[in-house]
Amino acid sequence: MKNVLMVSAVAALLVLSGCSSKDSSIEPYDNSGVTIQPETGGNANTEELSGEDVVVIEGTDANEMTLSALESRMKSVHFAFDKFSISPEMQDIIDTNSQLVKSDAKNYSVKLEGNCDEWGSDEYNYALGLKRANAVKSSMIRDGIDATRITMVSYGESNPTCTDKTEACWAQNRRVDFKLLP
Amino acid sequence: MRHLIGIFLMTLLLSANDATIEVVKKADSFASLAIEDATESFETSASRQFFKNIVSDMNVLSLFNVERKHYINNYEDNSASLETRSFDYVLRYRLHKDDSGMIVVNMKFLHNESVMMEKVYKMSKKNLLVFVAHSIAYDINDLMGATPVDWMKKKVVFAKLTSPGRSEIVIADYTLTYQHTIIKGALNVFPQWADKDQRAFYYTALGGDIPTLYKMDLKTGTKIKIATSDGMLVCSDVSDDGRKLLLTMAPSGQPDIYLFDTQTQQKKRLTTYRGIDVNGQFMENNKIAFVSNRLGYPNIFSKKLNGGGVEQMVYYGRSNAACSAHNEYVVYKSRESQNEFERNTFNLHLISTKTDFIRRLTATGVNEYPRFSASGDTILFIKNYQQQSSVGVIRLQENKSFLFPLKIGKLQSIDW
Repeated sequence: MKNVLMVSAVAALLVLSGCSSKDSSIEPYDNSGVTIQPETGGNANTEELSGEDVVVIEGTDANEMTLSALESRMKSVHFAFDKFSISPEMQDIIDTNSQLVKSDAKNYSVKLEGNCDEWGSDEYNYALGLKRANAVKSSMIRDGIDATRITMVSYGESNPTCTDKTEACWAQNRRVDFKLLP
Repeated sequence: MRHLIGIFLMTLLLSANDATIEVVKKADSFASLAIEDATESFETSASRQFFKNIVSDMNVLSLFNVERKHYINNYEDNSASLETRSFDYVLRYRLHKDDSGMIVVNMKFLHNESVMMEKVYKMSKKNLLVFVAHSIAYDINDLMGATPVDWMKKKVVFAKLTSPGRSEIVIADYTLTYQHTIIKGALNVFPQWADKDQRAFYYTALGGDIPTLYKMDLKTGTKIKIATSDGMLVCSDVSDDGRKLLLTMAPSGQPDIYLFDTQTQQKKRLTTYRGIDVNGQFMENNKIAFVSNRLGYPNIFSKKLNGGGVEQMVYYGRSNAACSAHNEYVVYKSRESQNEFERNTFNLHLISTKTDFIRRLTATGVNEYPRFSASGDTILFIKNYQQQSSVGVIRLQENKSFLFPLKIGKLQSIDW
C-alpha cells in the first residue's frame, strides 16, 4: 500500500573502527565536539574525530495498482504561474472528477496532491501547491463531496511529471492530482 | 569641529560593522601561504584529496593567498624548504596510521622559520579526513585571531531530490566532500537540526497519508513523531535553546505559522491571514520574520511572538519567497526579472532592521534557501545553475562566495 510507510532497516549504529577504551567515551556521532589531548612528550594537541553510521531506508510497498484504474479516469487540474485560482476549463475537470467520486469511487477517500513548477524549493512553493489543492477541495465540496472524504498534501516542486526546461513542461507541473484511498 | 570629526569617525566605525555594506579587500594584500605534504606512506587518492581539501579550506578562510602547488618536505624539519622559504606562512602535514590502525594527521604551522602551532588529529575512518582539514583551518583561523569559523566544523543536513517523488536526507560537511545518507526512499524533505550539538534533526515525511514531522535521533537511529497536519507541515526554525520550533502547518488547508513548545507539546498559532504565511524565522527582540503573500505577492514581514501587528520588512523585489534571520539581519530570496522564466532570476539580498541598505549577495543562477550560520557572519544557500545544484557559502565580512557542487540529484533544502 502506497500510503503505508515502512522502516525497513535501522542499521549499524555508532561504530568507530579501531575503538580503544579511550574511544568509548567519545560520542560516536559528534565530530564537532572534539576531544583534545596533549601529545605525549610534546606541545601538540590531539583531536579525535568520529562519524555516524545510521542508515534508515524508507519505502512503500508495491500495492499501489489497486485503485489505478479508477484514478486513471481522473484528470489533473492545472494552474497558471504563481496562481491557485481555477479556470472554467479546469472547473469542468473537477466537476467530472467529483461525479466519479460520488459514483464509481464512492467507497474511497480522495487525496489531492498539489504540485508546483521547479521555480523554488522553498516553503512558499509548497504552500502554493497546498492552496491549489485547497481550491480544488472547496470546489469538490461545492459539488457535494463530503469534506471528511478529502485529504490534501503538497509536494511543492518535488514530484514533477515533466522534467524538461520548457515553459510547456513547467505548466504541466503546476497541477493537482487526484488519488484514491481505501 | 571636534564633534564633527567624532561623528564622522563613529559613522565609519558603525559602517565597518554593518554586514549590509560591501567591503572589498584586495587579494594581494593577504599573506602568502604554501602547503607542504610530508606524507610518506598513505593511500595516494586519499592523500591527494586531503591536499585539495586543505587548499580549499585555507582559501575559504580568506586570510591568505594560497599557493596551489603541491610541495613536499620532511615533517620533522622545523624550517620551510628552499621552495617555500619565500612564503609568509607554511602549513605542513603528514598522514599516517598508528599501531592501532587509527589515522593520524600531524600538522605544523610555520612563520619566519619557526613553528607557530603544532597539533595531532586522529580518526578511525578515512572518509572523515575532510573534517581534519576543516579542523586545521579552524585552528589556524583561531591562531590568526580572525572572525571565528565554527560553522566550518559543523555538519550540514540536506534533502536532495533523486527522482520525482523520491528524496534522500544526507549529512555532509559544508564542502559536500563527506556525505552520509541517513534516510533513503519515499519523499522526506526540509531537514532542520534540532539543536546546536547536531545530535538530532527534524524532517517532514510526505510518503504517508498525512504530512508528518519526525525527529530523527542520530545517536540511537530512532525517529519520534512530533506532529501531523493535513496539507503541509514544515519545521522552519529551531530556537537557540532547541525548546521552541516555528512550524508551518495547515490543519484546515490554510498554511500558517505556529510556535511549538517541544517540552509541553503545545502549539500556538502566530498568523491568521487567509493567504499564505510560511517560513517563520526567529529574530531579535522576541520577533519572527516570515514570508507572506498578503500584498498579493510573496514578501518578507515580521511580527512579535506575543501578538501585535505585522510589519513589512522588504520594499524591493517582485517576489521574495524565502528568508533567514539572525539578530537584526535578514537574508531573502528575490525574483528581480520582469520575466519569471529568465535565467538570471533569483538572487539573495541582505538587509538590516537598523539601516536602509540592501546588499545583493549573488549574481547568477537560481539562488535560494539561505541559512545564516550560528554566528551570523556566513550564509549557506542552494544555487541551481545550468543543470547543476550546488551548496554556496557567502562570507559577509570577507565579501567572498564559494560553491560546492552536488554530483547527483537536486538540492531541495539545507540546514547547518
